Amino acid sequence: MSRSVRAIALWVVSIVGGASIAGCAAAPAILGIHEPPKANAASAPLTVDQARSILTREFTAAQQGETTTGAAALAAQRTAYTGEGLRAANARVKLAKVQPSLADSPALAPQQPRLLALSRGFGFPRVIVAQTLSSKSPLPILHLLTSPDAATPYRISASATMLLASSVKPFDVLTKGSPLVTDGAGLAVAPIALLNAYAAGMAFPAKAVTNPPFAADTKAAEVRAGAAQVAQAVASQAGFSRVNKVVANTVYAVRQAGGDALVFGVIERTDSFAVKADQAVSTASNKAFVLLTGKKQVTRSASISTLEFVVFAVPRSSGQATLVAASEQVVAGSGS
Amino acid sequence: MAVLGVALAVFGAWTAVKLGPSGDAHFTATSTATGAIVVGPEVLNSLNVPVRVTATRGDGGAVWLAAAPSTDARAVLATSAVSTVKGVHFGAGTLDLRASGAGDLPDITTADVWRLLAKGAGSAELVVGQGRGPETAVVTSGDATALKDVTMTLTWADRSWFFEALAAAVIGAIIAAFALGDLRQSRPRQVSAMRPGPRHGR
Repeated sequence: MSRSVRAIALWVVSIVGGASIAGCAAAPAILGIHEPPKANAASAPLTVDQARSILTREFTAAQQGETTTGAAALAAQRTAYTGEGLRAANARVKLAKVQPSLADSPALAPQQPRLLALSRGFGFPRVIVAQTLSSKSPLPILHLLTSPDAATPYRISASATMLLASSVKPFDVLTKGSPLVTDGAGLAVAPIALLNAYAAGMAFPAKAVTNPPFAADTKAAEVRAGAAQVAQAVASQAGFSRVNKVVANTVYAVRQAGGDALVFGVIERTDSFAVKADQAVSTASNKAFVLLTGKKQVTRSASISTLEFVVFAVPRSSGQATLVAASEQVVAGSGS
Repeated sequence: MAVLGVALAVFGAWTAVKLGPSGDAHFTATSTATGAIVVGPEVLNSLNVPVRVTATRGDGGAVWLAAAPSTDARAVLATSAVSTVKGVHFGAGTLDLRASGAGDLPDITTADVWRLLAKGAGSAELVVGQGRGPETAVVTSGDATALKDVTMTLTWADRSWFFEALAAAVIGAIIAAFALGDLRQSRPRQVSAMRPGPRHGR
């Protein structure tokens, strides 16, 4: 090898070697060591497998809670439900003897719950929207599961049976998650305003709702007609009134892929009876009332509370919201 | 240059031997403090390769090991007493553990934030992949007994590291060989260029 060739080779090797040494100094970069990545706010906080596992756990517990008795049933209910969902489940089990229809119970269809949506991002609360099919009804049931903070697991907070011929528009893909709408931005009506208007529309004596943000539906018509019938039936012995109030922290709106939103909410309906002087009203025929209060007769007043779980489809820009699912459960009563 | 080449060759060879053909890098530490052990994203997500997390209890008790998005893990751990893996030492193969917080850890096992979960008697292991944002691994007792005397091992594996180390060793050896060869050939030339000195007779 001539001197010049050897010198060139030495320089090449020196450059390569120098680069290697520099590389050692910058080993972190070569190995790919880097700062931890940022959280992707445009993704679901759960994997699809996690969410499905949660659904299986919750509906299995719901089934146990409604098919067993005693402390085990109560524990299972607390595992499955939360908030007004738990309140309704407790009452449903308590009144099972007099309200044999459990068509709305998610416990009847714990197999293959369908995962519809996961909330987006890592904030709280987080939600899961799911659908089950009851073996006793051809109509699917929509469920809202909520987790208020990182330490608290998802629980069923609302379940409502879909109305005939209603449908739910698709959500964003599960891995991406669906944003929660908190202020009604981009919707024809703010979710809380919608629920308040709907609740007001079912009062008795009836109050007209001007420019209702919701379309007329058969469920509300049935509820209003029922109130008129009750008022007429007790007219000789008691005065009847009905107040509906949206339960705080129960309204959740989940944005759908097309920009619309599916809105869940719970309305507490309170039926009040003011017994006329010198009247004694027999309540024996209302077995739910007797079970809840232990009273077969009232002489002064009585009240019955019912939770109404409603789900609306709210359009993105204009138009009226449409009721797509609704269920109700008597939860409390009092009398004197 | 020869010294540089030798250093590179030695470093590359040592790294290749340490990693082995599978390219496994192991780091271990034993925590004697009572409380959960936490591996944050600055360690867990510092490389673009999966990391195997292994926790082994000295007393053979049940181990609960899980990984969650870091914000969720921080929220459930709150201010409880934990030992956090703060860094790794490649040469020594050890982990830095730093204790913080105070108070008992609440039952974190019921939370729905855990993306990965492993349980075992005496030890548990899970592999945390990358690409899901910052995640934190948490080790806690899987039974009623307090968690202490736990050996944590983190393992990263990438076969290419072994070959890169091998390449460094070969390059170092080549540099050293050329440098030494040049040194040897240049020394006689310097000698021949010297003028002969005066001869001294006896």
